[in-house]
Amino acid sequence: MIRVINFANLKKLVVFSLILFFFGCTPGSSLTYYHDPNMDFAAIRSVAIMPFENLTREPNAAERVRDVFANSLLSTGAVYVIPLGEVARGIARAGILNPAVPSMEEIGKFAGIIRVDAVITGTVTEYGEVRSGNASANIISMNVQMIEVQALRIVWTASATKGGISIWDRLLGAGGKPMNEVTMKAVTDVLDKLFI
Amino acid sequence: MCSTNFSFKTASIFFICIICLSGCSVKNNQAVNATGDYSAPEKKILAAVLPLHNLSGTPVPLEDIRQRLISSFKNQGLDILPEDVLEKFIVKHRIRYVGGIDGLTAQDFRFETGADAVLVSSVELYNDTSPPKIALTCRLVSTGNDPKVLWIDSVALAGDDSVGILQLSLIEDPRELLEKAVLQISTSFGEYLADKSSSVANQRDIIKFWPKVFYRSPILEPEWKYTVAVLPFLNLSDRRYAGEILALNFVEQMIPQKNFSVIEPGMVRQVFLQQRIIMEDGISFADVHVLFSKLNVDLILAGKVFDYQDYQGTSGTAKVDFSAVAVERQSGDVVWACQSHNTGDYGVFFFDWGKIHTAHRIASEMVASALETLAE
Repeated sequence: MIRVINFANLKKLVVFSLILFFFGCTPGSSLTYYHDPNMDFAAIRSVAIMPFENLTREPNAAERVRDVFANSLLSTGAVYVIPLGEVARGIARAGILNPAVPSMEEIGKFAGIIRVDAVITGTVTEYGEVRSGNASANIISMNVQMIEVQALRIVWTASATKGGISIWDRLLGAGGKPMNEVTMKAVTDVLDKLFI
Repeated sequence: MCSTNFSFKTASIFFICIICLSGCSVKNNQAVNATGDYSAPEKKILAAVLPLHNLSGTPVPLEDIRQRLISSFKNQGLDILPEDVLEKFIVKHRIRYVGGIDGLTAQDFRFETGADAVLVSSVELYNDTSPPKIALTCRLVSTGNDPKVLWIDSVALAGDDSVGILQLSLIEDPRELLEKAVLQISTSFGEYLADKSSSVANQRDIIKFWPKVFYRSPILEPEWKYTVAVLPFLNLSDRRYAGEILALNFVEQMIPQKNFSVIEPGMVRQVFLQQRIIMEDGISFADVHVLFSKLNVDLILAGKVFDYQDYQGTSGTAKVDFSAVAVERQSGDVVWACQSHNTGDYGVFFFDWGKIHTAHRIASEMVASALETLAE
């Protein structure tokens, strides 16, 4: 008995395997967000960005990401971002002990001093190089939340992860994209979800 | 046989082309008339050459560089205040900061020594490891009641900026590079004295160094001339004095622009000391109001430096990352902000063609591009 190989099925199998393989090797890239449907975001005209919490080993990671975030938000022209030095003065005057994770009471007091419509807090959970075998690449993982100061409630949150080791980094040994570029992408993605 | 010869010839031509291209690898847009000869200057200025301000964070032969600068500037037609007079003045007034002059010192200089101006020089980079690297900034500040920056220029050179064919133009001696740097900067001063514009127009790669993010308020008027105070940048980098270096870079790039009149950095520093202003996390409105009233300026420019990185030897990459904001007096708001980062090898693929070897030159290009967005 002669067995006939079905080439059409074989092709499908190969293509399916390749798709699975490539998807399995994609770099970390995710975005989740919450947008309060009852909130009128057009009413927010000025925001203060609190110092981000740094959960990474890079000492200036939070400050770098916060700076990029502040400039990117200001450059949209949609809201006015209070200068970060003024935010520092407000934190000192309000006596906030941990400005990265302020309580609602502290936010209310702070907003009264600085006179802003909303306060943004954030956390940088991953920043820098990741390694896997011989491959390495830059990665960032961050989340931010906006608190509306009138009602003292969270009206928007978003988190993003960008960068990581791609199939090309594994195959060609490339070092991934520069950290600044990865940060810009993550911040842009997060801000896109604010203005939906 | 014939075809083999042809292949060999083609390969030879290709090889020679590669050598030539790599030899011309780096453009040096700061190149000026190497002879530095100019006709008799139209102005005669008596200037006091202050001791050099070391912003490199490393040991530097400051006196050697200063003597070379004095000699070279004399050749360009600058009258130099005698050393003993300058020394007496410095001792009498207990001048310790040599990175700028405040209003009171400028008055005293004029009335006690008769000097018309003060030459303030800063060494931003000095690395004598082969290939050597150097970065210098010089500015001439008028004395009297209202000190103004009359002229400012900088030079940043690396021994391997343009290595030439078979590396014949590679400079390995730091003294030779220093001589070249001093000649370039004094030639630029000669052009100023002779009221000549730069012989080589700077060809900037605007797109390559364009800020990654920027904001410009519509309330800024393109036709107006703004008086600007540039504050020292907050330094979050590993490099010492990076904040001062970047602020100086902004001053240098703003002075030639018709939209801006820049306050002498020494006067800004004096107000900081008098008012006991400490910027912990950038500028606050309280500080800004004090500075507006004391300095009588329209714009205050400040920022942060995250990276300002030079490298030793041949392998490495210079890197600069900063953000800047400008606050306007009438509105009291931030009217301009930018975020910019770049590396010396950005867009370089073959033979280091187009690579920039010093952080100073990258910063100059980035600052010039950033200011395009402010002055547009």
